[in-house]
Amino acid sequence: MAVFNRNGIDRRSLLASLGVSGALVAAPSVLRAQTREIVVGGAASHKPWVEAHVAPLFERKYNAKLTFEGTRSLVNLEKMQKNKDRPYLSVVQMDDPVMILAVKEQLLEPITAAKASNLAKLKPGTVHMEGQWANYLQPWQGIAYNTNVIKTPPASWAEAYDPKYKGRIIIPSLQNTEGLPNLFMASHLATGKPMAEATRDTESGFKKLISLKPNLLTVYNQMPQAFSLLEQGEAHMIVGALSSFALARRQDGAPIALAAPKEGIFPVPSGIAVVKGGPNQDLAFAYVNELLGAEVQAKIAPPTFALPTNVDVPPPPGMPTGVAVHTIDWAFVADNRNDWVKRWDREMSM
Amino acid sequence: MSGAAQRDPIGWLALPAVAYLGLVYALPLVFLLARSVTGPEGFTLQLFGQFFADPYSWRVIWNTLRIALLTTLVCLLIGFPVAIAMARAKGLMQVALLVAIILPLSIGVVVKAFAWQIVLRRDGVVSQFLVGTGIWSEPQRLLFTETGLVMGAANVFLPFMILPIYSVVKLIDPRLSEAGATLGASPLYRFRRIFLPLTLPGLVSGIAFVFSMSVSMFVIPSLLIGDRFQMLATLTGRSFLLMRNEALGSTTAVVLLVLAVSIVVASSWLAKRLGGSQ
Repeated sequence: MAVFNRNGIDRRSLLASLGVSGALVAAPSVLRAQTREIVVGGAASHKPWVEAHVAPLFERKYNAKLTFEGTRSLVNLEKMQKNKDRPYLSVVQMDDPVMILAVKEQLLEPITAAKASNLAKLKPGTVHMEGQWANYLQPWQGIAYNTNVIKTPPASWAEAYDPKYKGRIIIPSLQNTEGLPNLFMASHLATGKPMAEATRDTESGFKKLISLKPNLLTVYNQMPQAFSLLEQGEAHMIVGALSSFALARRQDGAPIALAAPKEGIFPVPSGIAVVKGGPNQDLAFAYVNELLGAEVQAKIAPPTFALPTNVDVPPPPGMPTGVAVHTIDWAFVADNRNDWVKRWDREMSM
Repeated sequence: MSGAAQRDPIGWLALPAVAYLGLVYALPLVFLLARSVTGPEGFTLQLFGQFFADPYSWRVIWNTLRIALLTTLVCLLIGFPVAIAMARAKGLMQVALLVAIILPLSIGVVVKAFAWQIVLRRDGVVSQFLVGTGIWSEPQRLLFTETGLVMGAANVFLPFMILPIYSVVKLIDPRLSEAGATLGASPLYRFRRIFLPLTLPGLVSGIAFVFSMSVSMFVIPSLLIGDRFQMLATLTGRSFLLMRNEALGSTTAVVLLVLAVSIVVASSWLAKRLGGSQ
C-alpha cells in the first residue's frame, strides 16, 4: 500500500497505517489486561523463595501474575486495615499473633477445604480459628553464633547471660514475633518452672531479662542488620534467631551456625490467609492451596530450614532432633503483648 | 490607577509550589494535628496530658534534645573553622573544599549510617586510631552508644553548618579586620569584636539547620543506636508503624513539630536581632 503519492501523503493510507501501528502498540496492554493478578503481602525475607520457587509455578499454572510485597507482618496488618473498604492485597503471609489481630478486626476470609483442598492434608494444630488462617511452614528459633569466635555451640539459653559476652549479644525486639521466646525462656531460667508455666510468669521473665542488659550490643527490629553484625564478629550471638534466616546465611558461606540449646527450641509458625474482599478471590485461594500443597512445601522447606505442615512432606535434612519444641499460646500473647512491649521499652532501654 | 492594578503578578508563579506543599505537607499536617486533639467525645487535650504525665516521655524528650544539642555543638566546633578556611581560600583550593563539602550530600543518609556501622566497630578505624594513639588501652564499643550516634549524625549534618557560615564569611570585607590591626587590636580581640559578630547570622542559621534536622532525625538513630534508645522521631515512627498507636504517634509528632518550629522561629528572631536582616 502506497502511503505517499505524487500529491504527498495519501490520507486513507495514512489513517490505515496509524490504525495498524496503534493496534501493534496497544497489543501488549490488551494482552496484559487479560492476565489476572494477585498481590501477596508477606515478610521481606520471604521474597527470595516466593519469587524463586512459588511465583513461577503459580503464574504458569493459573496464567496469572503474582506480585509479592515484602515488609513486616504488622505493616501488612496496617495495609489491610487502612484499605479495608477497597483491599488491594489478595493474600497475606503473616505470623500467627498478627493473624489473631487480623481476625479480631474481621479482615480475613476463612479458608475451607472446598476452596483449598490441601487444607485436609495439614498436620493437627496448623489450621486456626475455624480456618481463618493456616500454617504452611514452621521455622524454628535457637541461638545463632559466630563460628569464628565461639567454637562450641551454646548448650543452654543461659550462656547469653555469661559476663564474658559483655556487649556482644543481640536479641530481637519484643515488637518482632521472634522476640517473645526470650521473655518466656528468661522466666524458665529464673524460676525453673516447666515452660508451659513459665510462659505465664512474665514478671520473672522481665526481671531476668534486665540482667542481660550489660551483655546487649543491641536489640534489633531489622533482622539483616543484626546478622550483618554477627557475621562481622561485632556480635557473638543472636539469641532467638530464626532458622529460615540464620541457616540460609550459613549456606551462603557466612561464619555462623544455629544451636538448639538443651532447654528446647521454639517453632514460629508461618501463617497464610486470604484477605476479605480482596481482588481475584479464586486466585487467592488457589495460591493458598499451592502453599499448603506437598509440591510447594517440598520445594520451600529445605531452603527455609523449616518444618513442613503438609503430612505428605518429610522434614528436610538438618532439622534438630531430640530437643524439646515449645509451642507458644499466641492467643495469650495477643492479649498481653501491648503491655509487655510498653514494659520492655521502659526497662530494656539504655 | 487602582491599587490592585499596581500589584506585581509575578507572585502567581509561586502558586504550583504552594498548591503542592498544601497538598502533600499542610493537609497531612492538619490531619495529624486534628488526630492529636481528638478523642471519642470530640476535642480533647487528654492525649497530651497522658503523654506528659508519663516519665518515659520526658526521658524521650531529654534524649532528643541532648543528642540534638551535642550534634549541633560538634558540627559548630568542626564546621566554623572549615567555613572560614573555605571562604578565605583562593582558586582551586576553594573549589576543592567546596566539592569536598557538597559532594557527600549526594550520598543517601542510609548509606552513610551503614558506613558508620563499619567505622564504629571495635575493629573499625576510629577504635584502631584511638588505641594506636594510646588514648584507649584496648578497643571499646562505639556502635550503639550515644557517642557513636553523635559522631554519625555530625558527619551527615556538617555541610548544613558549614555552608550558611561560609556564605556569610565570604561577604565580610577582610579590610575591616586589617583596619582593626592598624589600630593595634590583637588577633584575638579582632576575632572577638569584629569578625565573630559579623558571622553571627551565618552561625545562627547553621545552628538552626543542624538542630532542627538533628531533633527530627529517624534513620540515623535507628541504625546507629538501635531500639533501646528512643528519640521523639523514632518513637513517632514506631507508634505508627509497629505499635499501630495513632494517638501516641500523632501526639509525639506534634511535640516534635513544636520543638523544631520553636527552634527555627527563635533562630530567625535571633538572626534579625544580630543583624541578619542588614
